Amino acid sequence: MSESEEAQHWISALTSYNFSSLVVDTLCDEAGEAGEDIAVACFYFDSTVQKEHSAAAVLGALLKQVVGSFEQIPEEITDAFRRHKKLIGGRELQLPGIVKMLGSLSSTRRTFLCLDALDECAVTDRAKVLLSLKKIIKMSRTTRVFITGRPYVASEVGKHFSEGIALVSISARTVDIIQYIYAKIAEDANSGEMDERLEEEIMKKIPEIFSDM
Amino acid sequence: MHNDHDIALTGVQSEILTWLSPLEPHLRHHDIRTNRVEGVGEWLLGTEEFRSWNNGDGQAESQKATMFCSGNLGVGKTYIR
Repeated sequence: MSESEEAQHWISALTSYNFSSLVVDTLCDEAGEAGEDIAVACFYFDSTVQKEHSAAAVLGALLKQVVGSFEQIPEEITDAFRRHKKLIGGRELQLPGIVKMLGSLSSTRRTFLCLDALDECAVTDRAKVLLSLKKIIKMSRTTRVFITGRPYVASEVGKHFSEGIALVSISARTVDIIQYIYAKIAEDANSGEMDERLEEEIMKKIPEIFSDM
Repeated sequence: MHNDHDIALTGVQSEILTWLSPLEPHLRHHDIRTNRVEGVGEWLLGTEEFRSWNNGDGQAESQKATMFCSGNLGVGKTYIR
């Protein structure tokens, strides 16, 4: 591999996953320490299974996790389940119903909805997902939404949440890359593949490679 | 009205959860977290944006309920699949 290919390879390994899962675990840990009942739900978009990730499927998956955060399934959910079961064929939940339930449940405790790689969601579903999240936030002041995605979806997101959105750029920073490489070097060191001199040389070279990116 | 709640609660519970969604995003989360590189991205947790998003009590009108992190990351997702 050439130096730039090698650099690209390292950047590739620094996925938005890393950030989303870190946020999810941090929220859960903090609540655990404080003994607070919160709901943390996450969804990782994946363009290879885009068709399975319709807006209703995504919001349904979030709702399932929020419901799971309650010790007992809330009554409004069991009631809805019974009503649906009575219908012929046990009709699937529709998006408006899911949004209503999410908005209602997330009003009773702090709720974090985390969506990773929104750009991997199909355009039409993306709009529906954003609109649904907007409705939920409107219904529930205790809801927080965390989204990662490529910069080109930023304007779409901004349009839906024009009143209050915190924007942060998470493009791989040099510090992340160095930390990543340290982790990799530690792995190699364990397998005895790298000597100290090589390690030193790599650590010196990295910032140079990334300085013009 | 809900006395039948207590009968085979776990069975009904899992039936309801599956009805809500057949997807298992928390399992995906567990896969992902095991591949997470320690230390990477921690700076995000210390940003003012993250703290105020996370700690807000939701009462203030100025409170930002949504946080969007943009980045050209993730082209290497297949590594973790």
